[in-house]
Amino acid sequence: MSTGARQRPALMHLYWWFLFSQGGVIAALLIPVHVLIQGILGPLGVVRVVDRHYDTWVQVLGNPIVKLYLLVLIAVPFFHFAHRLRYLLVDFGMPVARTVPAQAVFYGGAVVVTLLTIWVLLTTAPLSLP
Amino acid sequence: MTAEPLPSPQRGEGQGEGRGYLWRMPAGWWTRKRHYFLYVVREFTALPLALWLLWLLVEIKRAGDGPARYSPHGSTAFVVFSVIVLLFALYHSVTFLSLTGVIIRVKLFDRPLPSGLISLAMFVLWAVASVVIGFVLIWFGR
Repeated sequence: MSTGARQRPALMHLYWWFLFSQGGVIAALLIPVHVLIQGILGPLGVVRVVDRHYDTWVQVLGNPIVKLYLLVLIAVPFFHFAHRLRYLLVDFGMPVARTVPAQAVFYGGAVVVTLLTIWVLLTTAPLSLP
Repeated sequence: MTAEPLPSPQRGEGQGEGRGYLWRMPAGWWTRKRHYFLYVVREFTALPLALWLLWLLVEIKRAGDGPARYSPHGSTAFVVFSVIVLLFALYHSVTFLSLTGVIIRVKLFDRPLPSGLISLAMFVLWAVASVVIGFVLIWFGR
C-alpha cells in the first residue's frame, strides 16, 4: 500500500519513550526506599537518617557521586512522569494533550526540573571529595 | 474495493486526528471496570511521586540555608503524605518491574530468556538497591 506520503522514523517519539522507560525503571528501583526512610522512618525517629541533621546532610551532599546520584534520582523520573500524565490526559478525552504545545509543556517541565536540580545541587553544598 | 479501516482506540486512533468519524472515550470509562481503574491508578502514580521528589529537592535546597535555619520536615501531615506516596510508589514498582519481562528481550546462547526470569531479576535488583540505599541513608546519619 502506498500513500504517497514520505515515511519518517518517529525519532522524537523514540527519544521520549527511551527517557520514559529509563525514568520508570529508576523510579521503580530507587524511590520507595527513599520515601520509606526519609519520609516515614526518619521523621518518626525510628532510625537516624542522614537528612535529619544539618552536619551529616551537608557532608553527604558535598560528595560528587551523591550529587550525580541525586540528579539521576530526581530528574530522570520526571521524563517518565511527563509522558504518563500527558497520555493520561489523552485517555481522559483531552486530545489537546497530543499537540506540540502540550508536549512542550510536559517535556519542557521535565527539562526545567532537570535544570533546577542541577542548579540546586551545584549551589547547595560545596563539592568535597571523600 | 478496499474499505477504510475504522479507527481503533486501542491504537490511539480516532481521537481527533481525522476529519471524518470522531470517536471519543465515554466519560467515566475508567470507573466501569476494575482493570481500567487500576490502569488509571498506575498512570496517576506519577503525580504523588513527582510531588515527593520535589519535596526532596526542597530538602536539599534548605541545606544551603545554614545550620541555624535548617530543620528537616517531620510533621504528622508530612509522614501521612509520605505513607500515601509510598503506597503509590510500591504500586508503580510492582507494575513497572512486572512489565520488564514483556519489554526486555535478552538472548543467551541464541535463546531468549523467559520473561519471568527477567522480571525476577528486576525484583531482585530492586531489593538489593533498596537495601544498599537504605544502609547508606542510615549509616551516614550516625
